[in-house]
Amino acid sequence: MIDNGLLVQMILGALLGLSVYLPMAAGQLSLATPAFYAVGGTLAALLSTQGGAQSAISLWSVLGEMLLAAGLTAGLALLVGLPVLRLRGIYLAIATIALVEIVRVAILNLPFTGGAAGIFGIPQPFQQPFGYVLFSGGVLAVCGWLFQRLEASRLGRSMAAIRDDELASRCMGIHTTRVKLTAFVASAVLAGITGVIAAHYLNTWNARQGSFDVAITTLAFVILGGSRNWLGPVIGGLLLTALPELLRPVGDLRLVLFGLVILLGPVFFPQGLITPALLERLGRWKP
Amino acid sequence: MIDTLLQTLLNGAASGGVYALVALGYTLIFSVLGVINFAQGALFSLGGYLTYLLLGGKIGVNGALPGWGLPIGLPLWLALLLAALGSGAVGLLVERVAFAPLRRRGAEPLLSLITSLGAGVVLVNLLQLLMGAEGYAFPQAAAGLAKLPESLLLGGARIRTIQVLLLAISALAVASLSLWLERSRSGKAMRAVAEDPTTATLLGINSVAVVRLAFLLSGMLAGLGGGLIGMSVSLAGPYFGISYGLKGLAVLVLGGLGSVPGAIVGGLVMGLAEALIPSEASGWRDALAFAILFAVLVLRPSGLLGRRQLEKV
Amino acid sequence: MLRSGGLSPTDPLVARRRGSARLAAAVAGALALLAFLGRSSDPAAQRLNPEAPLTLGAALALTGNANLYGQDQRMGIGLAQGWLQGQPHPRRVALQREDGASDEPSAIAAFNLLIRRGVIALIGPTLSQQAFAADPIAQRQGVPVVAPSNTAKGIPQIGSFISRVSAQSSVIAPLSIDEALRREPATRRVAVFFAQDDAYSTAETAIFQKVLAARGLKPVSIQRTQLADNDFQNPITAALQQRPQLVVISAQAVDGGNLIRQLRELGYRGQIVVGNGLNTPNIYPICQRWCNGVLIAQAYSPELNTPVNLAFRRLFAEANQGRTPGQIAAQAWTAYQVVFEAIQRVQKRGGFEGLTLGEARQQLMKELLSGRYDTPLGPIRFRPDGEVVQGRFYVAEVRMDATGRNGRFNLVREQELPEGTP
Repeated sequence: MIDNGLLVQMILGALLGLSVYLPMAAGQLSLATPAFYAVGGTLAALLSTQGGAQSAISLWSVLGEMLLAAGLTAGLALLVGLPVLRLRGIYLAIATIALVEIVRVAILNLPFTGGAAGIFGIPQPFQQPFGYVLFSGGVLAVCGWLFQRLEASRLGRSMAAIRDDELASRCMGIHTTRVKLTAFVASAVLAGITGVIAAHYLNTWNARQGSFDVAITTLAFVILGGSRNWLGPVIGGLLLTALPELLRPVGDLRLVLFGLVILLGPVFFPQGLITPALLERLGRWKP
Repeated sequence: MIDTLLQTLLNGAASGGVYALVALGYTLIFSVLGVINFAQGALFSLGGYLTYLLLGGKIGVNGALPGWGLPIGLPLWLALLLAALGSGAVGLLVERVAFAPLRRRGAEPLLSLITSLGAGVVLVNLLQLLMGAEGYAFPQAAAGLAKLPESLLLGGARIRTIQVLLLAISALAVASLSLWLERSRSGKAMRAVAEDPTTATLLGINSVAVVRLAFLLSGMLAGLGGGLIGMSVSLAGPYFGISYGLKGLAVLVLGGLGSVPGAIVGGLVMGLAEALIPSEASGWRDALAFAILFAVLVLRPSGLLGRRQLEKV
Repeated sequence: MLRSGGLSPTDPLVARRRGSARLAAAVAGALALLAFLGRSSDPAAQRLNPEAPLTLGAALALTGNANLYGQDQRMGIGLAQGWLQGQPHPRRVALQREDGASDEPSAIAAFNLLIRRGVIALIGPTLSQQAFAADPIAQRQGVPVVAPSNTAKGIPQIGSFISRVSAQSSVIAPLSIDEALRREPATRRVAVFFAQDDAYSTAETAIFQKVLAARGLKPVSIQRTQLADNDFQNPITAALQQRPQLVVISAQAVDGGNLIRQLRELGYRGQIVVGNGLNTPNIYPICQRWCNGVLIAQAYSPELNTPVNLAFRRLFAEANQGRTPGQIAAQAWTAYQVVFEAIQRVQKRGGFEGLTLGEARQQLMKELLSGRYDTPLGPIRFRPDGEVVQGRFYVAEVRMDATGRNGRFNLVREQELPEGTP
């Protein structure tokens, strides 16, 4: 049974999936999402616990935190993106993994981020999970609308072109560096604001929230869901976040089954679940 | 102080040897396939547990078959060898399930990153189901190590005897591997495939067999490494291999992806760099490995000894 | 209707776009449906059925790297359940277990699941770190929580429904240091190791260092390690260069066990004092014969000669091939016992008559805090804020047998602490 608490985590998973999807749509395999997720969460945790313990916080403050997190992650992404995006394929992937680990250790060791215990007692904008469902669902809806428009836009088509053949795109006059950087920064911003929501939802935040494991799970969202359309990571994120929880009755076999899904998914659905062909069929379907 | 310097060097060499072993496993596969096998860490753990069982150890109360064990314990060298072979065999299985189907279909090579990770997750959790998560110490008597002194004093610096053993065995394995790659027919075939798969096939080399051989060898290296680590620090849950796996990635890049001597040099350099960190900053140690990794990728992606990858236009 | 750019409606791109719009609508609908279905049908407002058993929820770390502790806790609770259910009791109590894994989101999920199923109280979670995340949720919903072994500072203070049976580390830690100093009064040089990425160890080492400072000892070396480390050549050789006479370790079972073994192998012959993370027989396989002589302060001693502890030891030995129980299992038993007995007391005086689940939870919490209990830990009771008051603590020394595979925590000192000591 999916209760509202799980639903919130599913929606957050979908948002993180979208964050991983953005660079991929421009042909870049970047696993940096957890680093920016961690930065966003840490920022929210620090800001909202500044004035000592409170149990509630207004929604406007949370929106303010999201704005600040967006700015911070965008800045970091610009700084890191320029050197990193020159790399290709596996090298880029590993560089972003390294980034995630560096950020994690930094948050662990910096004096003001709470160290190993992290920061707890983060105030809540909502008393019930349902509030979070509405809020994060709203964020997801806005993102969905933006992504749907992105695919038709000039930026979206540039990204698709770069994905197909970067060299050719450059020859055609597309500013590949600028496009790739835009995708990277947007991905970072999305991860950052998801971190803000997550920090409030989880009540506590520590360095382990943005670890290598998260990089892999969020990547699996995209790979399984499909990397050709924004709905792929959304559905992948929703399903794969729910899966370990739905598998609870199976007990100890839970993680084995989860691993099997990640192992066999790409073998049997190499383009993921939501393929362009599927979308085409859906589009032509006349009820 | 000379003492401190020597101690640091010794510490660095000890951990560097293990890193080199892990990186070599990655290197073999990367050189022939161009992908990273994320199940490597899990094979590490598998090797540790297999060695334990082969030495006559019994499964603990939290495992699937509490109290089960082999009727006799094998001598250490045999246990290590068989455990390595076992891991190698599972490595072949991983190739069959997680890599081959994608290659056959011509799917994006990065997908095998995911599938190999899934294989690793499955393997580690199966190990957990079978053996439980408790600690396992290798049976003392079979190891025959009780007669040796616990640590050696080398010119004012101390090192645990078992670390020296670890270093010696890793060095032996690495040297044999390098020799084999250099001299033997199949070794040369592997280097040919690594250089240029198409030409190699045209020359009549069975690249499928070479790929399988790479997985077998890399699995064996991982298994051997896991057994050695288990000897040194005992086994503490199947997850220990994963952290070595991650560090091994950094070494791999530092030394140069696809370069065997690079993996060795990279391992030693990484070990030394970590040993040089003062204790106040030891929390940043993990970040050092990855900062090095990051810097190498940005400044010199081919690593210390890798070949420069030319962009084919 | 022609779309922008004059593309025909059957053009693949347009079809795909329409398809994705439709799919998005379907997903949105599904999410809305799930949100509606999953809204809190909080059972707290329902009246208790006098015939039905009351359910206890246990959220323990059954997977992940804290599952060594979680398995001990499951054992302790299971044994307590068997023993207490075997005696006559007015109200039936059922037990539901959920895996809290070793991270915060899983603990939160486990708590939520159990609360939705209408448990009257919760036992858990395993890690202090998880408690900071999950306990506020129980507090908000008014569900009593009894933590078997969360010893970090500030946990009962999370709320009026949060309590624990595990004494705070600041109470226990000084005892082992004092014992070490009693044995070697000439100790001047102390080295401290702690796992800096573990919330518990970081808090505990601060307490150890405060105690050392109070005894006039400043550490000659403070080494920070990581939980995932198992090779300590670097920090050990650095510390040994300062020739310490006493080593104090705050870590968990595996890394701590390896640290002890390697300290000894590298030639350290002085005393070793360890913290609560190593308070488990799980260290024996790791440090083997090198565990000998390690000092630890405990909230539980198997040698306590009370009927309940003798029963606990007997049942534990039967289920575990003759082994002696450790503190984690004893605390888990105690947590279950405390809630069970409180329930029975309320039932006996008719306190559950006609109440809703929410009100029953409040009643139970009140009763829990006001009772006295005779547990394997000794006699305990609670302070109004949910902190346990335990009069007796122990210092033990690890003694390994000749094979180096099995050992025991040998009681060397019992300490009565005046009640009310913070």
